[in-house]
Amino acid sequence: MTIFLRTLISGLNLGSIYALIALGYSMVYGIAKMLNFAHGDIIMIGAYTGIVAVMTMNFPPLIAILTSILVCSLLGMLIETLAYKPLRQAPSLSVLITAIGVSYLLQNLALLIFGSEQKAYPTLGAFPGFTVLGVKVDGMTVLTLTVTAVIMIGLTLFINLSRMGKAMRAVSEDRGAAELMGISVNRTILITFAIGSALAAVASTFYGMTYVYIKPTTGSMPGIKAFTAAVFGGIGSLPGAMLGGILLGLIEQFAKAYISTLWSDAIVFGVLVLVLIVRPSGLLGKKRAEKV
Amino acid sequence: MKKTAILILAASLIFSLCACGSSGSSTENNAKTTHGDKELYIGGIGPTTGAYANYGLSVQHGAEVAVKEINETGGIGGMTITFSMQDSQGDPEAAVSAYGKLLDWGMDVSIGTVLSGEMASVVNASANDDMFMITASASADACLEASKNAFRICFYDSYQGIAAADYVNQNLPGKAVSVFYQSDNDYSVGLYESFEARCKELGITFKTVQTFLKSDTDYTAQINALADSGAEIIFIPIYAEEASTFLTQAKNGTADAIFGENTYFFGADGLDGIMGKVSDPKDANNVLMLTPFAENSTDEKVKNFVSKYQAAYGSTPDQFAADGYDAIYVLKEVIEKAGYTASSQISGAKLSSTITTLSYKGVTGEMKWKENGNTDKGCTAIIYKDGAGSVFGE
Amino acid sequence: MRRKSIKISKDLLTLALVAGLYTVLAFLLYRGSLSRQASNMLIPVSVYVVMAVSLNLVVGLLGELSLGHAGFMSVGLFSGCLVSIALAERLPDPVRIPLSMIVGGLVAAVFGFVVGLPALRLRGDYLAIVTLACCEIIKSMITNLKLTGGARGLNIGPAYRDARALLPYAVVLVLLTILVMMNLKKSKQGRAIMAIRDNRIAAESVGINVTYYKLAVFILAAFFAGAAGTLYGHCFANVKATSFDYNLSIEILVIVVLGGMGSIGGSVFAAILLRVLPEMLRGFQNARMLIYAVVLILVMLATGNPTLKAFFDRFRPARLKKKLSEAILARKAKADPPQEGGAA
Repeated sequence: MTIFLRTLISGLNLGSIYALIALGYSMVYGIAKMLNFAHGDIIMIGAYTGIVAVMTMNFPPLIAILTSILVCSLLGMLIETLAYKPLRQAPSLSVLITAIGVSYLLQNLALLIFGSEQKAYPTLGAFPGFTVLGVKVDGMTVLTLTVTAVIMIGLTLFINLSRMGKAMRAVSEDRGAAELMGISVNRTILITFAIGSALAAVASTFYGMTYVYIKPTTGSMPGIKAFTAAVFGGIGSLPGAMLGGILLGLIEQFAKAYISTLWSDAIVFGVLVLVLIVRPSGLLGKKRAEKV
Repeated sequence: MKKTAILILAASLIFSLCACGSSGSSTENNAKTTHGDKELYIGGIGPTTGAYANYGLSVQHGAEVAVKEINETGGIGGMTITFSMQDSQGDPEAAVSAYGKLLDWGMDVSIGTVLSGEMASVVNASANDDMFMITASASADACLEASKNAFRICFYDSYQGIAAADYVNQNLPGKAVSVFYQSDNDYSVGLYESFEARCKELGITFKTVQTFLKSDTDYTAQINALADSGAEIIFIPIYAEEASTFLTQAKNGTADAIFGENTYFFGADGLDGIMGKVSDPKDANNVLMLTPFAENSTDEKVKNFVSKYQAAYGSTPDQFAADGYDAIYVLKEVIEKAGYTASSQISGAKLSSTITTLSYKGVTGEMKWKENGNTDKGCTAIIYKDGAGSVFGE
Repeated sequence: MRRKSIKISKDLLTLALVAGLYTVLAFLLYRGSLSRQASNMLIPVSVYVVMAVSLNLVVGLLGELSLGHAGFMSVGLFSGCLVSIALAERLPDPVRIPLSMIVGGLVAAVFGFVVGLPALRLRGDYLAIVTLACCEIIKSMITNLKLTGGARGLNIGPAYRDARALLPYAVVLVLLTILVMMNLKKSKQGRAIMAIRDNRIAAESVGINVTYYKLAVFILAAFFAGAAGTLYGHCFANVKATSFDYNLSIEILVIVVLGGMGSIGGSVFAAILLRVLPEMLRGFQNARMLIYAVVLILVMLATGNPTLKAFFDRFRPARLKKKLSEAILARKAKADPPQEGGAA
């Protein structure tokens, strides 16, 4: 029982981080219709910004987080303007490859600036935990889960209720028609990137506080896991991204605790393949009828 | 479609550039004429970008400190050293290309590659080149097999596994042992397997064996299992970077189970540099490691190396850096003992027969070489407490 | 008529160019005047050419995004090389190496069939993530297998050969792959596959067996990847399953997209360009991968952005040729006035 409960909690902890990253991924995908492979690397940049803000500039925690959000949003908008916008008419694969190029670029830039040695993310505060049935629940776990849920709900409301959200849905549905309705597609996508990258900065804060060590390649693995989570839940769907992320974390930890640490990766991906075969558009993804 | 035409042009242009790079030089007798006799070209290969960049850069920096020192004091046998480190990104394929590049450049002797997988491929490619190689840090048992001219500074994996098991048996008898290793890393698996085999002979059984993958960032499940096992020694044959993540998560992470006060985290030379990696020195309390190099040793050679390294690169050298430093000095010793004063005369076979008669004390200890390229050097067990390391049991 | 004859000869031209390039390289290599760097890269680059051309079959011709091509390479490599090592003492090279390549190809083809099954149900990014997952599962399996040396990797040992010994097999494999792709593109089957890409439902409605063709494409592509993997294994002393992860799949995908969807010549020369470029950038030391990334982005922008594309089009040889021929025609037309009317 203890093992089950503690695995559940560690799974929720890992899953909430995946979910937080997957939210940003899924949002950009849903509106801009592109896989932003560089999303993980924006997280890495956000984490380094946090380190510099606290260690070098001596900013208080809250200001450091805001700085990181600001830097990431600007970076996201810069990337969108320089690398993705010129390719709006190009086939989606060209944009995908450009995103991979941006990912390489950010990693190598970080390598040149910060070096290959890992850096420790500062502790931004203490979050006392509590005990349930004799098992410790870390404060960070609760906080991450809460923040992820709040962001998920907030974003859903924003997209469904606000004027900008309406524009985003229109752009997602039909770019050409949206443009005819007087919506500036470029501006909408630019704002999408700003929000998506801000989410990456938030994710970087929680990633940094939970896993502490940051390297130039830190973003790539969480990035690919979050991509997996987003697809698992149905890419483009925000509740799906959250569900996918948490399930992915749970499966990973249960596989490690109950089956084998040697096979945990294979099990996670195996479950993913099975689920997608049964539900080809993810758990909460929209089914689209194919037309001629 | 028109893209093809441009690509064809560009590709053939580059390839012909590449191909004609060293026209006129024949393959076997590699381009030793590219530089003067009073110059000695030393080449090294390793990841200086990518996920393993820290290891490659450490070796490179250590070697550069040695090169600078030697050049300031008259070079090797009157020859001035030019050192070139080529990036491999940790990829054996790029390492083999880099080896070719170094040959074209005019490399006389080599400090091999940083990682074992690269070394195996480069050694095979070099088998007929009469190129003497002494790798700083490629420790896999089999990676030197293909060439008679390949040697190493570091331990080899099975030796360390056996030494670790013997150490536990002699110095920490009767204590329960558990293992935590990286199942997709050759170094970690190599050490674990020889440790396990030796432990079987000695009658030591493991409480639990937990593994992790390179892609893992969360070790909570494993930490719970290890702490529950009640072991007093956790054998962690892993690298410092992963170890720092493991220790930080074990001490103040989200895991429910906690390790006992007196649990030793016992590892080998891969743990070296752990103090520079952990965010809080207390995280590394009770880390016990077998290492040939201790950065706070009182030995004059070590002190000199550490201070020069710090002045040049602003960080404390780890064992990879120390191995790189020693590799250059061993090259100096062996070339001088063989009596070479002109770089064009250097023969790999001659250097290989010379090195087996050599005994050299570097910053990583006293070394002698066998014909298979291995060196058995002594190691000391260092234990860390509140950020300071001391010899265990003293 | 004139346009058609140019189009047909395009792939043939690629084939001829590749053959010519190999002839020159082989001449230089066996004469001993090829630089070591270049000769060490010959086999790996050839392998990437095969990988790219075969992935182009899936991505360009069938229009499905696959991120698992490295997995097929890995499976083929380990099975083929195990056979080759086992037979190293018994069979001479010219029998053993092709045989092991065929074995590697066949084993990979079996995996291609298995991975192709989900492709029948999934589309787009969902299929991409499933192929990526399959690639990671294959990596995990081989790493945990004792037979393949586990994490320490497979020591090729007695089966290892250098570029001089392997070049003939590489040439044959590359030319064969190009030839098969070329013929497929022109054949009835190829047109059926492209019809599925352009509109699956329409293709189905005219009686094209979608299941059959989709699986066939995955199997064929996996076969070539497996054979190429076996060849790749022969030129390294030690190979680890961890090298063949999704990153490698992505690198091959980059080659395909850069070279152009469905373009054989594009894949071939983009493979050469992208594998040789990092080596050419060695002079830039630690900034080389940064420059590589910048070049990659710029090339994608230059080929995908309409404004930039129009700008670069002006300098393309084909365009210049067209202009030239137009000018010649115009002059001809001036020199001798049309006679057709008179004749009729």
